[in-house]
Amino acid sequence: MNRLSFDDVVGMERAKQALLLLAVDPSLAGLALAAPVGSGKSTLARAFASLLPAGAPFVELPINVTEDRLIGGLDLEATLARGERVIEPGLLARAHSGVVYVDSLNLLDAGAAAHVMDALARGVVRVERDGVSAVYPTHFMLIGTFDPSDGPVAGSLLDRLGLIVALSAQSDVHRRQEVVRRNVRPASDRPDENGDDMLRALIELARKQLPHVAILDEQIEALARAALSLGVEGNRVDVFAVKAALASAALAGRADVTEADLEIAAKLVLLPRATRPPQPTAAEQPSQPSQAAPPPDGARDPAETPEEKSPDQTPTPEHIEELLLSAIETELPAELTQLPFAVQRRGKTGSRGIALNDRRGRYVRAVPGAPRGRKIALLPTLLAAAPWQTLRRAQQPANGHSASRVVLRKEDVRVKRFRDKAGTLFIFVVDASGSMALNRMREAKGTVARLLRSAYVHRDQVALIAFRGPAAQLLLPPSSSPDRARRELDVLPTGGGTPLASALWLAWQTARQARTRGIHNITLVLLTDGRANVSLHPHPDERSADKEQIQNEIHQLARCIAADRLNAVVIDTQAGYLSRGEARALAGDLNARYVYLPNARAHQITEVIAP
Amino acid sequence: MSPNSAASPLAPPFPFTAIVGQDEMKLCLLLNVIDPRIGGVLVMGHRGTGKSTTVRALAAVLPRITRVAGDPYNRPPEEMHDAPPTAGANGHTERSHTPKLKTERIPVPVVDLPLGATEDRVCGTIDIEQALTRGVKAFEPGLLAQANRGFLYIDEVNLLDDHLVDVLLDVAASGWNVVEREGISVRHPARFVLVGSGNPEEGDLRPQLLDRFGLHARITTITDVALRVEIVKRRRAFDADPFAFSAAWEKEQRALRTRITRAQKAVSAVDLPDPILNRIAELCMNLGIDGHRGELTLARAAAAHAALHGRARVVWPDVIAVAPACLRHRLRRDPLETVDSDEKIERALSKLTLDAPAPSA
Repeated sequence: MNRLSFDDVVGMERAKQALLLLAVDPSLAGLALAAPVGSGKSTLARAFASLLPAGAPFVELPINVTEDRLIGGLDLEATLARGERVIEPGLLARAHSGVVYVDSLNLLDAGAAAHVMDALARGVVRVERDGVSAVYPTHFMLIGTFDPSDGPVAGSLLDRLGLIVALSAQSDVHRRQEVVRRNVRPASDRPDENGDDMLRALIELARKQLPHVAILDEQIEALARAALSLGVEGNRVDVFAVKAALASAALAGRADVTEADLEIAAKLVLLPRATRPPQPTAAEQPSQPSQAAPPPDGARDPAETPEEKSPDQTPTPEHIEELLLSAIETELPAELTQLPFAVQRRGKTGSRGIALNDRRGRYVRAVPGAPRGRKIALLPTLLAAAPWQTLRRAQQPANGHSASRVVLRKEDVRVKRFRDKAGTLFIFVVDASGSMALNRMREAKGTVARLLRSAYVHRDQVALIAFRGPAAQLLLPPSSSPDRARRELDVLPTGGGTPLASALWLAWQTARQARTRGIHNITLVLLTDGRANVSLHPHPDERSADKEQIQNEIHQLARCIAADRLNAVVIDTQAGYLSRGEARALAGDLNARYVYLPNARAHQITEVIAP
Repeated sequence: MSPNSAASPLAPPFPFTAIVGQDEMKLCLLLNVIDPRIGGVLVMGHRGTGKSTTVRALAAVLPRITRVAGDPYNRPPEEMHDAPPTAGANGHTERSHTPKLKTERIPVPVVDLPLGATEDRVCGTIDIEQALTRGVKAFEPGLLAQANRGFLYIDEVNLLDDHLVDVLLDVAASGWNVVEREGISVRHPARFVLVGSGNPEEGDLRPQLLDRFGLHARITTITDVALRVEIVKRRRAFDADPFAFSAAWEKEQRALRTRITRAQKAVSAVDLPDPILNRIAELCMNLGIDGHRGELTLARAAAAHAALHGRARVVWPDVIAVAPACLRHRLRRDPLETVDSDEKIERALSKLTLDAPAPSA
């Protein structure tokens, strides 16, 4: 098989660097690599296998991997044949001291993701199923690649991976040529040029060097401060950052950590987890309020209080932190929401609202249960009955023909369980421009609150898009958490132009993303008067937008949404005597229900959309 | 690649006493150790803040328990006599015990419930091996049996299958696990402290489950830089040599173990003065908490807190220390309300404190 070597993969220097660090210190746990389609991310991940010691397993997980394949279970065939239980280890156990690779990490089944995380955290995989209990050691590196436009990776999974890299598509002409050249004639055909042997040797040396690399307390502190400044959640990140810095130093053959190493750690570990631009104030406070007065619980002991900082050593942690942040700053996008992982923190799916049910969605497993109104899983039912056949036949009264038949009992019956996002996703699209905006936004917020209050029961989710100024904004990504809604909708800006087309576009994208995650009941709720004055592609030298163009955009988008069979409700908020029927026309294009509620109140809106 | 026995850990867990910060969570766990009737603890908060590490570290600081040697249900000898017998194969019962039972000391079980666990594995089922090889029905106890007299830990509890949650609630409420399978019927004790953890941003907990937890601890990212440096240093030291690191903390571990043992013995005799009890009731009333579970939990937790601190009588500061964890998940919730539940509790507490001088001992 003509697999490309690591050295043959052109470009993606940052990702390569991350993989080298991971090879030096596998306890960095893994790498999440975000890049658009066709950027060669999976090629690189697979090429990584060639850097590992011979015999290290490279296990590829399909995103729809079943639980028993993943963690293992009873090997029924062997069990029946041998008359003793035979446990078959799953993919995770097989990856021990090697690599688990997931292409499209963001689409990995939530249940599977939970097992992967669990195994990563404990270094063991535990089988507790089919009456089988076993523990296998498994220390593996997880490499996950994904295309961010397909949606985010579960935050809990990202949190367990030390390194995160986001790449953009390659555009450099020379680089593209090189890609083609290398693909046509891989290095394995050019014995003089094979760089992988050299890299393997380098990694080997760095692994030996790693235990001898020392890091100063001030340097650890600088990393922790930088993490705080960037609003990174959790404390695990510090450990990863320090490990990355140490691995970087080891790779350079040094015994001490330099600023360059810290910078690499900041770029690969901290920056992608930033949730805000650097805010040094948080680090300046000596402690958080909750830490200020810890309850006298007795669990604390004197050894826990940290040692005093050694005073006045140069450079100070503050100084290093400043250097780090300024190095990072150039890479921080102007809009923080453009950070792939900041979006993820806000818009992550996790497993919120996922419900196993008896009727629809994807068949994930069979469970015992009465067949009434449900789908029987035939094979699991027979498998469940199989082990007891000897026993049951022995117990049954001698009965001519029954001996050859399978004796099924009620408790053998397995019914199918499906995984689906139950409930409805309501996407609110609210006009936040103009004078009536404040009222509209307040009532929309009230509606969100009402819906989420009953979300426990219905498993509904709510998203909120506000449009004003140059473009629409997703204020609340699909969520069922009242806490989150409260936080995200705390401040509601209003006023400015009316970019209705942009809002329709964003709503459409949000709906499509939700669909890829298995949410099929989606309702768009538009609160608007239907009037727009900002185009999707504003002409740079024309101040007043072309009315016709704007109408055209809206018309086209609305038709697209209607063609996608999305439910929609248009709530016309315009006072009657001013209305020129724009909202009604929009409803027509959207194939939507039209409701006229000039002073829409939250309870009225709720009544209309979720009676 | 041979499986290891679930009971023998591959490396020692991170020492409980070496865990930096997260005091509320640690306190909540200890209170449950001292008085299991408090009803478990739910830990919600940020990722990467040491939730799982802390729970898994717990077993090592708990005093060992005595059980009948090899009993899969961890029963103490005195329970063996009046316990309903396990129905064995063909109607035999296992009541043929000699009056003198061999006993052994085991660590308090802390059992992990993995997310994908099947109901069979949790509740127990028929031993397949025996059914196949000898054609006999023997009950094979599940995780609930293992957890008897110990802790059952569910990480990502908010992602657990609904039907498993129902089973757990049933068992947790009754203290008994009942299995009917393949014509045999087994009923065994399953009294455990339920410990759940999760990240609230990944989905809320069903109200029934939320209410079932005695305590609700919050856990947040530690922002104190010095503490963070200390966390990194300890983690690195542990990763480098878990055995040496654990040995270095053995003294602290032993001291805490002694303290817990004393508190466990003392807690049933801790005096809860009527004036304090009255104010506990008043506090719950002022906060509009439905039912009596709030008062009960608060009273028990305060007594356990007093015992932990070596006092024979509950004082008002004991109540103040445990009130947020006992009550914050019992307040009625308004999705878009801006006042934090902790703030409400604090206000109610300070109002009581101002109204009357603390009726301390």
